[in-house]
Amino acid sequence: MNDSRLALVVLAPLIGAVLTYILGKSSQKISGVIASAAVIVSFLCVGSLWAELPTAGSFGVTLSSWLSFGGISLPLELYFDKLSAVMCLVVTGIGALIHIYSIGYMAEDESRPRFFSYLNLFIAAMLVLVLGKSLPTIFIGWEGVGLCSYLLIGFWYTNPEFASAGRKAFVMNRIGDVGFIVAMAVLYHSCGSLDITVLGKPEILARIPAELGFIAGIALFVAATGKSAQLPLFTWLPDAMAGPTPVSALIHAATMVTAGVYLMARMHGVVELDSAVPAVILWTALATSAIAAIIAMSQNDIKKVLAYSTVSQLGFMFIAVGVGAYGFALFHVVTHAFFKACLFLSAGSVIHGCHHEQDMRRMGGLAKSMPLTCFAYGVSTIAIAGIPPFSGYFSKHGILDAIPLTGNSYLQPWLGVIGLIATGITVLTAFYMFRSFILTFMGEYRGHEHPHEAPMVMTAPVLMLAVLAVVGGAFLSPIFLPYLTGPLPKVAHHAATHPGILGYILGSLPALVGIAAAFWLFLISPAAKEFFRKVFLPVGKLSEGKFFVDEIYEISVLTPLQKVSNVSGRIIDQSFFLGGGEALGKISRALGELTARVTTGQVGTYVLFMFCAAALFVYFFLPVR
Amino acid sequence: MEPVISYIGLSALLFTIGGIGLCLRRNAIVLFMCVEMMLNAVNLAFVTFSKLVGNLDGQVAVFFVMVIAAAESAIGLAIILSVFRSVASIETTDSAELKW
Amino acid sequence: MSFIGFVLSAVAVASALGVVIFRNPLTSAFSLIINLLAMAGLYAAMGAHFLAVTQVVVYAGAIMVLVLFVLMLLNLKFESKRRFGIFRTAVAVAAGVLMFATIVPPIMAHFDTLSTFTLSENMTKSEGSVKAIGTELYGRYMVQFELSSLVLLIGVVGAVMLAKRKTSQIGPRDGAAGGAQ
Repeated sequence: MNDSRLALVVLAPLIGAVLTYILGKSSQKISGVIASAAVIVSFLCVGSLWAELPTAGSFGVTLSSWLSFGGISLPLELYFDKLSAVMCLVVTGIGALIHIYSIGYMAEDESRPRFFSYLNLFIAAMLVLVLGKSLPTIFIGWEGVGLCSYLLIGFWYTNPEFASAGRKAFVMNRIGDVGFIVAMAVLYHSCGSLDITVLGKPEILARIPAELGFIAGIALFVAATGKSAQLPLFTWLPDAMAGPTPVSALIHAATMVTAGVYLMARMHGVVELDSAVPAVILWTALATSAIAAIIAMSQNDIKKVLAYSTVSQLGFMFIAVGVGAYGFALFHVVTHAFFKACLFLSAGSVIHGCHHEQDMRRMGGLAKSMPLTCFAYGVSTIAIAGIPPFSGYFSKHGILDAIPLTGNSYLQPWLGVIGLIATGITVLTAFYMFRSFILTFMGEYRGHEHPHEAPMVMTAPVLMLAVLAVVGGAFLSPIFLPYLTGPLPKVAHHAATHPGILGYILGSLPALVGIAAAFWLFLISPAAKEFFRKVFLPVGKLSEGKFFVDEIYEISVLTPLQKVSNVSGRIIDQSFFLGGGEALGKISRALGELTARVTTGQVGTYVLFMFCAAALFVYFFLPVR
Repeated sequence: MEPVISYIGLSALLFTIGGIGLCLRRNAIVLFMCVEMMLNAVNLAFVTFSKLVGNLDGQVAVFFVMVIAAAESAIGLAIILSVFRSVASIETTDSAELKW
Repeated sequence: MSFIGFVLSAVAVASALGVVIFRNPLTSAFSLIINLLAMAGLYAAMGAHFLAVTQVVVYAGAIMVLVLFVLMLLNLKFESKRRFGIFRTAVAVAAGVLMFATIVPPIMAHFDTLSTFTLSENMTKSEGSVKAIGTELYGRYMVQFELSSLVLLIGVVGAVMLAKRKTSQIGPRDGAAGGAQ
């Protein structure tokens, strides 16, 4: 069904972006309101479309024809089905809350209009990504969010460290984009179309030869690793915490990083062409999730903890993708968006309240001075740890339960190991999240400022997200997976597993272990903490050094590249290009001085030239001969 | 009977003479007169073709050429006057400021 | 070619050569007047009566009077002895010959046999009369005609501006000093 409301979904934030940017300094006060209104309009449109979805089946709208040559035509088309609906509701809904929060958070920043313009542009790009009907259209959104994340992470670009964090995110994303382009090339070559509705049909996918199927699946996954910060491209995400905190919440919790998961779910047919691809995805995700969780345990910056936690949770979503439980991957995207956005925004409130202090060693005891934030952070922490009936439990344990159900022959022999590691990650998650909660909100205040509660415009969205983090999972759990039966495979198969009351208790056991360990080590018995630090010294070193991934890049890629550039710079640039350029310059200068003699300033000479030229012109070009 | 070519040939000849004069003279007023002569040569061609084709469009064009020539003479002579005021000469070789 | 046509053409060519060759600008100017009158005669012979009259009044009359007036005002008798070199003359004449030789033959090839007309026959026709031209000008060419009046107006204003600017100037070569006033 065609509906122009769909165009408005994308256009509203786009118009907001242009408007706030053009108004510039003159819109200091209202830019936040404009931007938020734009996103809310978009949200309402999505809502109204979503309400009509059961009768309509799907919506589509053609914005314009983008490319058309030869036998190829690429219209800019949007497509709205149940899968896009879920993503759109998350993007616009949580996006709107974050916009409102930003009004308070950025209240003292001079360049607010620029900030809100970028935020709106980001939402627009993300909506193009999830609504695009063909892979090239999705790619526009894909690149758009990459660009916006670069702009937003480097928002305070006067600080060179922040600016370079933005660059890093940009470059890492480009590596993933190569995968996307390769995947598009392969798919177009074999299937003759890039339309996602066409690519969803099994008979079309059957045309892909076996060896190309593996390449296409892996290329798509490479694209997803860039955007969703999986091993080995995850280092940009923690660095990206340089941006303002609402940006972290929007990009790194709720929207952009989940683009990879969306792509996997949307292209599940391609991913599963060769069953080696899901296996690769699973092992990569498992490693990413475990490494990120271990690193998160030793971080002292509150935002860094959340960043590594995000990487870890993204790994969890990809575990679900790897075992074929796309429904649970999407479900975890949604619940994760709830509690991680809430965590980031609460952390933002804490940072705001502590006068831009991010180090947890100089916090503590903030429960007294900012009770609302403490409450929000607390419930979200429980949610992410995975205690029923909080939201995180349902999606996380859905994934854990789905692991044994995979039919992948590459994974069958390893199911026990996979399950064990995944459960271990759950323990670690509960541990490091409660560590951050205890360090921040409990005990005695260790800083020198006077922390204060955030203003209403910030706490209201945080509390709304907290409510979602509490009840969202339990509320959505029975309806979410059946809802996605159409667009996704095997969801009914997964939805069939219902744990009893005993299952809930057993399921929350790993989380409880982690929580207990955190309380014991950080609140009750500091001596035990010292003991464990000594015992696990090597792991701690690895963790504090962030597994030295950055250093490995430094040695393996950057240093050789720099050496080569130095040599080529000295030899090729200096002698060849510079010398050659200079010679060219000299020649043209000499020629110029020669020809300058012609312009004598004598009218007579000019007339002679003109007359001769006219004669020659007539001679050569007179049509009748 | 008059062959049309005789008038077109006359027009071309006058145009060429004017052009050569334009190249070889250095008095600005003479140059101006040469330009007028070239315009006239073109006018003659217009009138001839107008006769040939049998409508008045060519003659109307000549009329407009005359209007332009009149305007041009007013401006051109004024420019020659003001050049003379600053250089004390109307020979084109004496005012060669506009160069590299 | 009829007698009238031949005489008028010969006069036109001769006077045109005079314009280019005479070294005294004043003589050149008179040659040009003769040239313009001969052209007027040709127009009249071709039946373009209105243009013939306009040619005499506007060109031979107004414009040439203006030219002569300027010549008198500047009081220049002879062009200076300096002449352009033989090379330059050769180039200019060669370019002129090339142009002439290129334009005429193709036209000759296409039109010579196709159409002829008689001057004497046309003399009596009224198709070039004031009435006919006037109908055209105020009919199909209305807008262009009005615009041409605008061009003339701009020309007049421009001429006044150019001529008026340095009235305070005392003598030649004092432009810089006099312009300050």
